Amino acid sequence: MLKSKTFVKKTRSGGVMKVVREHYLRDDIWCGSEVCTECKQESTVLQKDACMESSLCSYPHYLVPDTNVVLHQIDILEDPVICNVIILQTVLQEVRHRSAPVYKRLKDIIHEKEKRFYTFTNEHHRDTFIEREPGESANDRNDRAIRVAVKWYSQHLKTFESDTDGLKVVLLTNDQGNKQKAQDNGLLVYKCEEYVKSLIANPELVDRLALSSDDKNEITSSKVLFPEHLPLSRIQTGIKSSSFLQGTFRASRDNYLEATVFVQGEGEDGTEVLIQGLQNLNRAVHQDVVAVQLLPRSEWVAPSSVVLQDEGTAKDDEDAEEEEGKLRTAAAEAARKPTGKVVGIIKRNWRPFCGMLNVSQIKESTRHLFTPADRRIPRIRIETRQASTLSGQRIMVAIDGWPKDSRYPNGHFVRSLGGAGEKDTEEEVLLLEHDVPHQAFSQAVLSFLPKMPWAITPEDMMKREDLRPLTVCSVDPPGCTDIDDALHCRELENGNLEVGVHIADVSHFIRPGNALDKEAANRGTTVYLCGKRIDMVPELLSSNLCSLRSNVDRLAFSCIWEINHKAEILKTRFTKSVINSKASLTYAEAQMRIDDTNKNDDITKNLRGLNKLAKILKRQRIEKGALTLSSLEVRFHMDSETHDPIDLQTKELMETNSMVEEFMLLANISVAQKIYDEFSECALLRKHPAPPPSNYDILIKAAKSKEVEIHTDSAKALADSLDAAKVDGFPYFNTLLRILATRCMMQAVYFCSGMDSDFHHYGLASPIYTHFTSPIRRYADIIVHRLLAVAIGADTTYPDLMDKHKQSALCNNLNYRHKMSQYAQRASVAFHTQLFFKSRGILNEEGFVLFVRKNAIIVLIPKFGLEGTVFFDSKDKVSPNIVFEEEGPTLSVEQHKFHIFDKVKVTISLDDSNIQHQKIRMALIEPVIPGVSVPPPDTERPAKKQKLDR
Amino acid sequence: MATVQVSEAEKVYILHGIRDDLRVDGRGCEDYRHMEIETDVVSNTDGSAKVTLGHTAVLVGVKAEIGKPRPTVPAEGYLEFFVDCSANATPEFEGRGGEELGTKLSNTLYKVFNNKRSIDLKSLCICAGEHCWVLYVDVLLLQCDGNLYDAISVAIKAALFNTKIPKVHISSDEEGGKEIELSDDPYDCMRLNIENVPCIVTLCKVGHRHVVDATLQEKACSVASLIISVTHKGTITCMRKVGGGSLDPESIFEMTEAGKRVGKALHAPLMKLLEQEESLGKKRQKVGFLG
Repeated sequence: MLKSKTFVKKTRSGGVMKVVREHYLRDDIWCGSEVCTECKQESTVLQKDACMESSLCSYPHYLVPDTNVVLHQIDILEDPVICNVIILQTVLQEVRHRSAPVYKRLKDIIHEKEKRFYTFTNEHHRDTFIEREPGESANDRNDRAIRVAVKWYSQHLKTFESDTDGLKVVLLTNDQGNKQKAQDNGLLVYKCEEYVKSLIANPELVDRLALSSDDKNEITSSKVLFPEHLPLSRIQTGIKSSSFLQGTFRASRDNYLEATVFVQGEGEDGTEVLIQGLQNLNRAVHQDVVAVQLLPRSEWVAPSSVVLQDEGTAKDDEDAEEEEGKLRTAAAEAARKPTGKVVGIIKRNWRPFCGMLNVSQIKESTRHLFTPADRRIPRIRIETRQASTLSGQRIMVAIDGWPKDSRYPNGHFVRSLGGAGEKDTEEEVLLLEHDVPHQAFSQAVLSFLPKMPWAITPEDMMKREDLRPLTVCSVDPPGCTDIDDALHCRELENGNLEVGVHIADVSHFIRPGNALDKEAANRGTTVYLCGKRIDMVPELLSSNLCSLRSNVDRLAFSCIWEINHKAEILKTRFTKSVINSKASLTYAEAQMRIDDTNKNDDITKNLRGLNKLAKILKRQRIEKGALTLSSLEVRFHMDSETHDPIDLQTKELMETNSMVEEFMLLANISVAQKIYDEFSECALLRKHPAPPPSNYDILIKAAKSKEVEIHTDSAKALADSLDAAKVDGFPYFNTLLRILATRCMMQAVYFCSGMDSDFHHYGLASPIYTHFTSPIRRYADIIVHRLLAVAIGADTTYPDLMDKHKQSALCNNLNYRHKMSQYAQRASVAFHTQLFFKSRGILNEEGFVLFVRKNAIIVLIPKFGLEGTVFFDSKDKVSPNIVFEEEGPTLSVEQHKFHIFDKVKVTISLDDSNIQHQKIRMALIEPVIPGVSVPPPDTERPAKKQKLDR
Repeated sequence: MATVQVSEAEKVYILHGIRDDLRVDGRGCEDYRHMEIETDVVSNTDGSAKVTLGHTAVLVGVKAEIGKPRPTVPAEGYLEFFVDCSANATPEFEGRGGEELGTKLSNTLYKVFNNKRSIDLKSLCICAGEHCWVLYVDVLLLQCDGNLYDAISVAIKAALFNTKIPKVHISSDEEGGKEIELSDDPYDCMRLNIENVPCIVTLCKVGHRHVVDATLQEKACSVASLIISVTHKGTITCMRKVGGGSLDPESIFEMTEAGKRVGKALHAPLMKLLEQEESLGKKRQKVGFLG
């Protein structure tokens, strides 16, 4: 049966268009229930004995939530208790329209078999489709569609009543009007709260209920704290006429009454608008997209340097006003910045936040404040009955709304992550806070994995070059299970060398567009934490089928060069291949083989050949101006039982590290050139922009203080002057300088060649570069593999691969994920360092001054690769006489003057006064400055202290 | 236009018949052939109607779009006409064969309909000088069996009756920037007042008499015809003579009188029919093109 759906919509040019869609109704849409004998369905989702123990519904029942219940109470629906739910198409479409994140979560639930969620396409069912009546709003029409569908279900199931124990369908809605109408129609209907509260076995679910608008009315005080947000239409016209600006709201980390709004300007540049004061912030939360209105120039202010943290428990505006007063310091005209106020929210960017509960002082109270771990997020008021159990735990809370009469946003408890300070909990927190997707792979994703036992098929062999006879081996860090590269080197008859880099052929297993591919694209990269790895692709691939382990046949994508003994490349070719690695070595093992003159087997000869070439390659690269930078990386030795760090050492680099690296660079550059030649518009490349000269100021100044000149005109000049920089009696100086130089650099980023013109890789001094060699742990490499495969005719292309806008959007995500994973890694190292120092008590160590700030020095402890700040002013003590000089830069504290690179001695201890923000505290021992430095601690103590078992 | 070959004997037969007020198909001189009207036949237009008159079939669609008013009349909307002579109607229209006729027809339609006495053009104004509704009236000839003008005019009147223009309102902010806002309800729409929309009556001079709704054969016997647009009150709003022959003033007078009479009699049942169809609402079984 054919119906047409008609609606009018506005076109972009301001016209009005009538759109007509054909809408087909069918009579073969089944109900999905196990009890039904009428529907000719092959498989059923909904169970016969759908038992959720509820005091309201003692009979088995299916739930039908309406749109608002799904939108607001998705946390409840996700709970394993809730199953046998019918999701109507009307609801699904509306959810999709209104909130993409909720839609995704809902889809995930539907895919989960155990949850037994059934999607009923009521809009296409002959009996449940309804047309909009004159005078009926779209929402009313949808509500009616839901009621009609529920009615249909209850009548449909009634026919089988005798076989079931009175199986019924229950509509959940929070809309009073809808509920009334449903009752009039004789349907079973409950409010979501009523129903959840009636669940006998699971009282804790109540806490997860989002506060609905009805609840908010109860706490309404007469006082309106914030100005009303403007409606979206007003905002849009305002932005069009440029009386408002649209931008991303970025709350200040240090001052809860201050924020900036980043307004994207033409092209790359953007402007920042300062927002100050609660009223002007107007309930915007970090990362929201907001509309701001600029204040008149006379009201512009300068950003304050005061650190303000929202400390009050449930205080309301009085204190805030007082604190706002503190901000109003007279600022010089020049320091004033464009200041504005938030007039409306264009898009909320709320996610569930991690943090801890501040239990209310009133014992019986169920309302508590929640302090997020991220200081930029305001505190959230939640309602819970389990405050006593939740205190001291890390929990997740979602914001439901922020009414204009409430000082804090309202939210609800989502789940507990575990005790604060525990390793698993903190790891979870840092993954969540860095937006690292770390859930187990969904069934949909896993379904695209190859079936085990897996073997290379003859068809695969046909298309691939058989390189199994070659002596290929891999060299990786110890404990590495995701081996994505292997090498070989052999002498050819003409005396030249053949070198092959073999990269795991991940794109063979991950086909474009399927769930596995999408998941990997979203994750973007594998995240390595201390002692934990968050895989980008499921383990079967990462550690088994793709991993180029020794003595098994594996699919590879090979890049093979013919190279002469001067390491000049004569020929390059790419091929899909099958290899059989002869050995998986660690860097140390490989080094030992090379050094051991008694060994002369194939593998060792291979390695020596590679090593020799690598050295030449490296020299050539450095001559061209590649930078050798330095950053301290630490490795923790973990206790095998408790997984607590017991020792810590900075990573050592061996010749073999650099050997593997050289060939990877070579492969990446060769591939980059090839895919760019082939696809100049849509090659995925990686660039490293040259930093602006001002970035080097600190480096030049610091070097000057030791009478060393650093040239920064070009990468080559920088590399040369860094090599030349040496100070007698200070062997660590060069490393320190390189660490500083690293900080001056820009981030390297992925980009699509069709969208950019500057391809240069500054650090590697290469005109073109990409990532090809680690497809197991980086998604960019998978795309590069696909491009290369198309280029050599080994695979077919697909539309998204050739779309430079899609490619560019993907790059943005990869860059974001990459950045976040680095932050997460750093946070993980910081956390493990804290754990380490927790069990060590107070230590004293030697370090170097890395930076000089206005009121502090930043000290690097080379032994631990640890950086810490020594403050010279503190709240409870009288500050010493401090003079900061910009030239230099130097800091004089009383009589002593600190320079960059000065050697100091400090004590290191763990400051756990704030359990959410534990930090390493450093205090000065040497040079001794009376009233500032501390006496050296009793070194006996740490020896006695046993490691803490928690 | 489609033509038929008529022999001398046939001509004499037709002429004599008409002289005696008896036409070949049994009609009197002022009778129309059987006429069928259906509105709302094309869902992606804002108003549409299909009219068959004898074997002549025309389809009219009205699309409302927002445009800029003509500078001379800033507070009025306007109509645009396009007549498509599809080769479906007759093989002569193939290629660009129908173009000339199409232009001729649409020129007449402009004269007849695009004035404020026929349609309240002010009601099409959204915002004086800036936005107004432009009604695009597209006429598609499906089959030609004589008397195109009358069939088209009836179809246009029916389609305008059926036209539903979405309601819009202008919101303005402090700076005077104006924004057109659309109602979310597809049923919230404006109807046109078509009371004064005229119908065209074509009178063919055959011999010494004249006939309305001439068939192709009768047309072949005629040397000149008069096209008159008549409102429901019987007022003549427009008049044109087509054809190569001449008309003497006396017969012109006679023809206009007859045209007035016939036109007035055409309006009343047409309106009744349209309203009756409208009252059936969604329950009406659509006939469409296959019925």
